[in-house]
Amino acid sequence: MDRPENRLALIELLGRDGRPRRMVDVFCWPVTLGRGLDNSIVLDDPHVAAHHATLAPDAQGALWLQVGDSINGVALGAAKHPPVLPAGARAQLPAPGAVMQLGGQRLRLRLPTEALADEQLFTHPPVAGKALAAVALAWLLLEAFDRWVNLDPGADFTQWLPWALGLPLGVALWCGAWALGSKLFRHGFDFIGHAAIVLPGLLALSAYEWLLPALAAGLGWPGLWHAGKLLLPPLLVAAILRGHLLQLLPQRGRAINGGLALLLVAGLGVGVAVNLRQQGRVFADPYMRTLPLPMLRLGTPVPTAAIGAAMAPLQGQLAERVRQDAADHPDDGSTPP
Amino acid sequence: MHWLHAASLRLGLLGLLGLLGLLGLLAATPWAAAAGEAPAAQAAAPQPTADAPPSSAGQRIYAEARPRLLQVRTLLKTQDSQSSVGSGFLVTTEGHLITNYHVVSSYALQPSRHRLVYATVDGQQGALQLLAIDVVHDLALLKPVDAAPLHDRGVVAFRPADEALPRGARIFSLGNPLDVGFAVTEGGYNGLAERHYLTALFFGGSLNPGMSGGPALDDAGRLVGVNVAARRDGEQVSFLVPAAAAQALLARGRNATPITQPVHAEVARQLLDYQAGLVDRFIAQPWRAAGHPRYRIPVPQETFMRCWGSGTPPAERGLLFERSDCTMDSMVFVDGPLLTGFISVRHEAYDGSRLGLLRFQQRYAGSFRNEDFGQDNRFRTAPRCVERTVGPGGLPLRAVVCLSAYKKLPGLYDLSVLTATLDGSQTGVQGRLDARGLSFENAQRLAQHYLDGFGWTAPKTASR
Repeated sequence: MDRPENRLALIELLGRDGRPRRMVDVFCWPVTLGRGLDNSIVLDDPHVAAHHATLAPDAQGALWLQVGDSINGVALGAAKHPPVLPAGARAQLPAPGAVMQLGGQRLRLRLPTEALADEQLFTHPPVAGKALAAVALAWLLLEAFDRWVNLDPGADFTQWLPWALGLPLGVALWCGAWALGSKLFRHGFDFIGHAAIVLPGLLALSAYEWLLPALAAGLGWPGLWHAGKLLLPPLLVAAILRGHLLQLLPQRGRAINGGLALLLVAGLGVGVAVNLRQQGRVFADPYMRTLPLPMLRLGTPVPTAAIGAAMAPLQGQLAERVRQDAADHPDDGSTPP
Repeated sequence: MHWLHAASLRLGLLGLLGLLGLLGLLAATPWAAAAGEAPAAQAAAPQPTADAPPSSAGQRIYAEARPRLLQVRTLLKTQDSQSSVGSGFLVTTEGHLITNYHVVSSYALQPSRHRLVYATVDGQQGALQLLAIDVVHDLALLKPVDAAPLHDRGVVAFRPADEALPRGARIFSLGNPLDVGFAVTEGGYNGLAERHYLTALFFGGSLNPGMSGGPALDDAGRLVGVNVAARRDGEQVSFLVPAAAAQALLARGRNATPITQPVHAEVARQLLDYQAGLVDRFIAQPWRAAGHPRYRIPVPQETFMRCWGSGTPPAERGLLFERSDCTMDSMVFVDGPLLTGFISVRHEAYDGSRLGLLRFQQRYAGSFRNEDFGQDNRFRTAPRCVERTVGPGGLPLRAVVCLSAYKKLPGLYDLSVLTATLDGSQTGVQGRLDARGLSFENAQRLAQHYLDGFGWTAPKTASR
């Protein structure tokens, strides 16, 4: 008789991560819930009464929740702070998929009448398999190029060790640490998943370092150079961290996005505020610290006579700095009259 | 650029003991590598003297000058601790005395926090007033509040300027070295210090901190110069301010009203006058050739500058470069670590033929990247820069021009110009000019003058 197709309902006991920890088939009503051993479903929780609640249909077939002799009552609904039904109260269950909380236990009631949501598409990690290998290879080659450029001709092979050993080891340790986090929260040591997050990020960081400053220098746009240096590395690092954290705690998407956005905005804000205070400018660097490659240099040089006129605005800017400084340090016994 | 700091040496002003310590001025001699960066504490230690004990002439000079010799102390107003000590000497019967500006600079810039007192050899003490300063020559004129104790002590007479002192003549320098006690140091006169923008007498004798502002006398007891500084990287290489500057200050300031307010405006005025002459003279000189086959690079004349060159060893596998570093020996002391009134010009010529294009460009840009233009501090604002690609004589040149303003010396600026040639795939030159204490207009003029010093060695078509 107790065959799966004969079940009247399914009660899922939810774990802390919101996933079902235990499932109980219901083959007959009423179902009693409580700590006592005579209940249909025994809930071993100190905040649950001996006979905490009963689920039973009425004559019309509607399912009702009757709260038993409990001081904590039953919280009904999936909202963050659902209304609590006190002892003795009765409520018709808003089927389907009703969530109720008894003490510290969350239960979900599923009925055969409920409409199932559509099947969702299973999304693979953004980069996986061959694509991931290609990204890893591209990043290693870019780093190898960077290393090659930095070494003098005829450099000893030991000088390649940081690239050959240090970089792969560093990435492995990084992914391993995050994978341990996955093991803790998601019950899976997802090394490749984390590698698929960090490697595209590292590739983007390396590519940024090689391309954007050179582009800005070639165009002669210091603003692009400064803005890129201020914004892009923090954004890329934040994107990498976001990927790792979402992998760990997918259901905490809003908190992760909000937290990282706050961190990013606060970090940039504090950095800019410190620059403005100490240097009187938004960006940390006083000048564009990159030279264009001769063949990639655009624009026509200006005559040297233009430099005097270009300097002219500095006089007012510096006077303003001096004025601000005098206002910040009122008479210290040495202020000129 | 990787400037060679091993070529930096130290020149100490002699007045400041205690908290202010000794000031290390940058200068350069070939002894640099051996001398290294001597710590200030070591520099402050008494130097061994190879002099014979003062001769009978020395005894006579000291006996004669003794009543006119003073120690000048700057004390904190609220307590009796001395913040600096130097020496001084009487030049009028009313008690006017001359010392170095750097001995009394704390008082001059913060009169509300300091006071000045003198002490004579025979133990008399009294308060002093500041009448006039000559920042450029590092001189100050003072007067006692109560002239009576300094009355009838006679004066140190000025040796007439038209009586040239022969090289090798004996000079007797007096003062109170290191606050140990009044002393006379005998040494030789060695003419004028060469390639100094400001005239300085080269005294071949030991000068020590605390002797600043003391008189240096000829064997007739007449003033030749005023003790001011010594090189700390050598021995018995000391400098005197010519007596004429002290005489001029006395003439100008003997009837002045005592200074009770900070002298920043006056210091700024004197420095503005000084820089006007310096920049005019600097710009009037043509640039020297650097001897580079491809580029015309501005190298200053060595009339009042010294240039040192260096380069990579020929066996170097990587980037090859030659460097030239020109600095002025003359600097103007203003306050504590603030020295101004000098120009330096440097360049590095790079050859990347052993590296190839990409490696050369990476190192060339790296050398351009690590330039520092200073930070905001209590004397100067943080630098503000403009950058352009300019084309002197058709040569594409990246130019970064930075200015800092002096916070308390209105109208004065520090200028830095950084340049890099942009045409070469495996060759290039980066240059830097620094000038301290300029007017805004002169900063503009000097920046353009420096940029105009770059170009091709020959017409563009021929050089490539």
